[in-house]
Amino acid sequence: MRLPVAIVFQKYGDRLFAAAFSICRNQMDADDAVQETLIKYNTLELDYADESHIKAWLLRVVINRAKDISSSFWRKNKVAWEEYGETLHFEEPEDSRLFEAVMRLPKKYRIVIHLFYYEDYTIREIADVLRQREGTIKSQLSRGRKLLKKMLMEEWNDDE
Amino acid sequence: MTNREMKKEKETITNRERYQRTFSALHASGKDVMEVTTMKQRGKIRIGKLATACMAFILVLGLTSAAYAADIGGIRRNIQLWIHGDQTDAVIEIENGQYSLTYEDEDGTVQQQSGGGIAFDWKGKERPLTEEEILEELNSPDVQYEEDGSIWVYYFDQKIEITDKFDDQGVCYVQLKNGKDTLYMTVKYQNGYATSPHSYPSPRSFN
Repeated sequence: MRLPVAIVFQKYGDRLFAAAFSICRNQMDADDAVQETLIKYNTLELDYADESHIKAWLLRVVINRAKDISSSFWRKNKVAWEEYGETLHFEEPEDSRLFEAVMRLPKKYRIVIHLFYYEDYTIREIADVLRQREGTIKSQLSRGRKLLKKMLMEEWNDDE
Repeated sequence: MTNREMKKEKETITNRERYQRTFSALHASGKDVMEVTTMKQRGKIRIGKLATACMAFILVLGLTSAAYAADIGGIRRNIQLWIHGDQTDAVIEIENGQYSLTYEDEDGTVQQQSGGGIAFDWKGKERPLTEEEILEELNSPDVQYEEDGSIWVYYFDQKIEITDKFDDQGVCYVQLKNGKDTLYMTVKYQNGYATSPHSYPSPRSFN
């Protein structure tokens, strides 16, 4: 199956952006990663099994693209994530603190935490999207959680 | 909701719910593709795909020609057109997203080409290309594969041969200059190209 790119953006644009941002920590870079991912989606004309397949493919591509952009020697978009964070409208004050804590995590933990908590992905699904071993993901998730707990203390539960 | 109820709700919300609420504040810009010049993909093969899929815009342009605008002012403009590797004077008229090009070919015969396009944002809203966008597109670099096997990049008034500049993977990196502006171009042999004002696009990022 395939979806028109306009529909793909409506359904997944914000999710792709959030995933890219968790890697780049830069609005413009994340937007670029999303755009390039949609261009790739549009031009490759692949056939997907279902919508979850489309979503997984999009996430894999946008994550790889965001990694490329963030590690580029020529990278020029250097607006700090703190500045972007100040423009966001969080429902609760603790949301702002969670955003800040996640942004302070090492990159390899950020994306794993993001896919687990935001996309509701299992460890196996995260391993598949990131092309890594499940053991690695499990370990990174555990370390990421511990760091979040250390930074957020009582604002971060021990519920998972 | 009472303070007690609010406190209880805070206590019962899971990490996942809080995380999702927090990151739902982030939104992709959804900006018009035409406004973003960071990455533009175009080429002989790609134009057709873009035209059918309308990702960036439909562009109906003579595939054997590249042009650069030399005269700004009014709807009717004089431009330089690359035809079979030679610069040729031409006149372009633009109206409502449509353009027509008139020029004389090497035999002195008057030739005409016309085309146009639409742009639409990722939310599906459509509009005709503006005059500025059409000229911007005409001014973007183009790659031509000639019958003698040579490969050329045309950009404004420049004609750059890249035939021997491809690496083992069939990828060529070209830095294009126009005044103070620099454009980094990655060309995949017979497989399209991409440009960026920031860095060479990764060959993996297109086609």
